Amino acid sequence: MDRLQATVFVVDDDVSVREGLDSLFRSVGYAVSAFASVREFALLRRPDMPSCLVLDVRMPGPSGIDFQAELAGLNDPIPIIFLTGHGDVPMAVRAIKAGAVEFLLKPFREQDLLDAVRVAIEKDEVRRRDEAALAELKARFVTLTAREKEVLAFVAQGRLNKQIAADLGLSEVTVKVHRGQVMRKMGAATLAELIRLADLISGKGQAVR
Amino acid sequence: MMRDRERMRIERPWLWLGLVALMAAIFAADTLTNLEIAVAVLYVAVILISVRFDRPVVVVSFGLGSAVLTVLSYLLTQRGAQESGLVNGALSLIAIAATTYLALRIEAAEARVRQAQAELAHMSRVTTMGELTASIAHEVSQPLAGIVASGHAALRWLAATPSDVGEARRALERVVADADRAGEVVGRVRNLVAKSPPSRDRLDMVALIEEVLTLTRSELRRHRLVLRTDLADDLAQPLGDRVQLQQVVLNLVINAAEAMGGLESGPRDLLVGAASDGGRITVSVRDTGVSLTPAAIEQVFEAFHSTKPGGMGMGLAISRSIVEAHGGTIYAAVNHPRGMVFGFTLPVAGATSERQHG
Repeated sequence: MDRLQATVFVVDDDVSVREGLDSLFRSVGYAVSAFASVREFALLRRPDMPSCLVLDVRMPGPSGIDFQAELAGLNDPIPIIFLTGHGDVPMAVRAIKAGAVEFLLKPFREQDLLDAVRVAIEKDEVRRRDEAALAELKARFVTLTAREKEVLAFVAQGRLNKQIAADLGLSEVTVKVHRGQVMRKMGAATLAELIRLADLISGKGQAVR
Repeated sequence: MMRDRERMRIERPWLWLGLVALMAAIFAADTLTNLEIAVAVLYVAVILISVRFDRPVVVVSFGLGSAVLTVLSYLLTQRGAQESGLVNGALSLIAIAATTYLALRIEAAEARVRQAQAELAHMSRVTTMGELTASIAHEVSQPLAGIVASGHAALRWLAATPSDVGEARRALERVVADADRAGEVVGRVRNLVAKSPPSRDRLDMVALIEEVLTLTRSELRRHRLVLRTDLADDLAQPLGDRVQLQQVVLNLVINAAEAMGGLESGPRDLLVGAASDGGRITVSVRDTGVSLTPAAIEQVFEAFHSTKPGGMGMGLAISRSIVEAHGGTIYAAVNHPRGMVFGFTLPVAGATSERQHG
């Protein structure tokens, strides 16, 4: 379902490769934007949808590898698939280490390229889902009262209701009520889930899929 | 005629004969003249000339032979003062020893030069080929990538329901354009090899072949080959590019040497021949290595087809392009009783070579 909106960006200075890729990706249902240089691509304000970048390595102007570093510097997480007619092993190692999804030699096998694009789009979708979940979580967190945030912090540290009550000078029943509110507002069904969500907000945890 | 020459194994027979005759003459003069006359010193000339065999063992043999003959002459000579004869003989022996030593040094230096030249020739061949291959691969891979993408896109557009004939047509048009472009790249590569002889000189093929053989001599010796040549004296001179045709001969000779280098047993004979035949000349390189099957012979001139471990399979393909650009033909056949013969013919009649410019 997302696939219909997913966009493949293509940057290749060779017009026939560019147009061929454009047609190929459209024929399998992606939206495609193709550019002759990384500069043109960099100027674009990208729409907010799952996407990936199919990037030629050797082009006039900055190379694809340089551009990958540039995007990383900008914290741009778009997944990259490299295509090159001139690949060598150090170049491929560098690209993959820097997080590229795939490094394909021209002429590539169609299935390899489509598989790589599928993987890249999925990777972007997952990242987007995680980010959306985190944003929602943060929105929920904002709705907590100051006291509830305090209780959440103690719960996340693994302290018992009795200890929290003593720490905050509250009765144990009051702490239980606050904790119930926190779990309801944060949408956590169990204590374990609540602790995980707290870790996510504080940036300590990894999303569990 | 050919058979007789094939049986002859000695390199440079005339040089051998001349040196032996010279030694005999010196020996005779030394024995017949008085003891005081140190004719034996002239042996140094024999030793210096023997350097031309490019073989240390030959130089040492001539040095030892000269020393032995000097002593023999001293013992045989009747006339003259014994004492000065002894001194002269000793001086001659020292001169012979010193000259042998120097000759060996010269020989070693020359061998190093030949080795370096051969390595250089090989290296330039390999690097040129490597660079050429990388750039051709890149130039061809671009349109091929386009063909792969557009071709598959066309299939998908047609397979879609409803099929999009417009998109498919545009994709197929790109396939055709890319295929044309790939073809142009191949054409350019062909021209690179074929058309580049701006020089179409009258070539002395015998000199050209001998130059290549000089370059490869140490390589041939390394593979312990016996080299024989059968180069016609009155060979007609074809028009062509000297460097390119040298590359062809070099390729054939190196291939033959490598084909025999791995032999466990049997003769390792390399026969390089050149002969006129009506309106053309034929250059052939025969080895006694492994014979190829008829099927292998058919493929042997194709690019990237190699029978050697680590071979690029470009040597014979490029050789064929060069020969054909000169209006000639290259061929391979089984040699009897064993091995292969590779060779090429070139036209020599003026009319035939003019046609190449068209």
